[in-house]
Amino acid sequence: MASEQRANEVLKGLCDGVVAFDEETVGKFSKAAVEEGVDAYDAITKGLAHGMGKVGELYAAHEYFVPELLLCADALYVGLDILRPHLKRSDSGKSARRIVLGVAEGDVHDIGKNLVKIMFDAAAWEVYDLGKDVPLGSFVEEQQRTNADVVGVSALMATSMLAMPEVTRMIKTRNPNVVVMLGGAPLTREIARSYGADGYADNAGEAVREAVRLVEVIK
Amino acid sequence: MAHKDRLDALLKCKRLDMVPLYHFMFGFCATNVGYPVASMYNDPQKSFMAQLWTFEQYGIDGGPDYGYASYGGWEFGGEIKFPSSEWQQAPSHGNFVVNSEEDLAKLRLPDVEKAGMLPLAMEFSKLQDKFGKPISIVLGGVFTIAGNICPVEILCRWMIKKPEAAHRLLWLATQHILEVIHHWVNIFGAERVMPNIWEPLAANSMISPKLFQQFVLPYVKEASEKILAMGIKHIYYHICGEQNLNLPYWAQVPMGDPGLVSFGHQVDISTAINYFGDRCIIVGNVDPGVIQSGTPQQVYELCKRCIDKGKRAPRGFMLMSGCEIPPMAPPCNVYMMRKAVDDFGSYD
Repeated sequence: MASEQRANEVLKGLCDGVVAFDEETVGKFSKAAVEEGVDAYDAITKGLAHGMGKVGELYAAHEYFVPELLLCADALYVGLDILRPHLKRSDSGKSARRIVLGVAEGDVHDIGKNLVKIMFDAAAWEVYDLGKDVPLGSFVEEQQRTNADVVGVSALMATSMLAMPEVTRMIKTRNPNVVVMLGGAPLTREIARSYGADGYADNAGEAVREAVRLVEVIK
Repeated sequence: MAHKDRLDALLKCKRLDMVPLYHFMFGFCATNVGYPVASMYNDPQKSFMAQLWTFEQYGIDGGPDYGYASYGGWEFGGEIKFPSSEWQQAPSHGNFVVNSEEDLAKLRLPDVEKAGMLPLAMEFSKLQDKFGKPISIVLGGVFTIAGNICPVEILCRWMIKKPEAAHRLLWLATQHILEVIHHWVNIFGAERVMPNIWEPLAANSMISPKLFQQFVLPYVKEASEKILAMGIKHIYYHICGEQNLNLPYWAQVPMGDPGLVSFGHQVDISTAINYFGDRCIIVGNVDPGVIQSGTPQQVYELCKRCIDKGKRAPRGFMLMSGCEIPPMAPPCNVYMMRKAVDDFGSYD
């Protein structure tokens, strides 16, 4: 069992390693956490996820851009791969939140959706990623199969965006308590609202905060 | 003035009667004449005529043109998919030809007479020639081509972790642009060819201005300098999306005398004039989202604001949407662009 001081060192190492997109450092501190008895759940939430939170802030402040965010995510996943097998069963239950993600039918631009997935992974949500150019019915089916709390749909193209009112209606008809969130370059909060969605996020970091807030309000 | 005379006068810096209305619509033209959207990209004859008739109908100056933003992947050996559903407006990637450094090592410059969409583009340009229209060739910018040859996530990682691979890809994209334009110049003559280069992927929603300066600017400058050295007078750059932080670097790129430069709605026209107005015709930039989803009154007001800001640009201004007008945009909203030019665009 690591001392409190050592545990804090490990958590800081994980956090800093993610921010510096340093896979080697993250791997080293993740292994140290396992070997020295630092709780895996703490290592993920207070180390890796805390780091991704800082990355999200840097992204929002235009200090980090997509390349940096992708490399931070690579470091994050190095840590998650090492730490996740060591989560206690009771810890797994702590992250009961689930989200289905996908890019609307007709649209293959998935980088925004992939960034959102990273942030939900970092926040310890269960993410069911349908990919890009997703038939509208697949969002409904996957939500039912996974009993997800949230369905997130993105679009980059203004034409694909026109599928969003339909997919929102389909999801809500089947399960009114599911939170539907929309995002993508041509959308605004007003457009998302007019399409019947519960929420909208301007960027990947904001998406998690918005989802947490909406799940508490709607469910 | 006739439409052609107006554009000629603009390029020669002569006095105009009114602000030209420029085009950025492909699928909208197909919808307008009852053709499939895909025909704008895989059938040059239909694409040309649909644009010609639509531009006549709406009183649009310039064009027609042939091209799309996903340019580069197909030409280098990847796969392109033409729009086939009601939710699609432009060709999109299938498989990428480069997914690793090993793939990159094998990548070669394509034959510009046979590769990808280039035979279709040549057929289209021969129609431009036949109808006495400007000869354009629409290409992706260096970063956009590179990000269409390999997934842009890979390109992003390479810029930081494997910069030599990113530079190799960008160099190939630059050489390809030059080879294509050289081919067009050989067929039609430098005096008549106006390259039309779109650079959406280098937006600041993707990369930092620092990476733009390191990885994009040197290649854009090289391409532009060599294009102008071929005898071409004007290059049209579409600086697509959120590129405010890149503008100081774009301003270093030679674009001809005058050049033409259009912007996404994220860039204020006054800012564009500050950076480019002394040597370029400013083109833009009505938010296409408003053209699709707004009311006619909102579109009209937005156009008025653009015209008011752009009309006195030193080398001229053309009203255009900030990016492609979506195929399902209400026709009345497109008419509002014409109406705004008629009501507020006069130089008398």
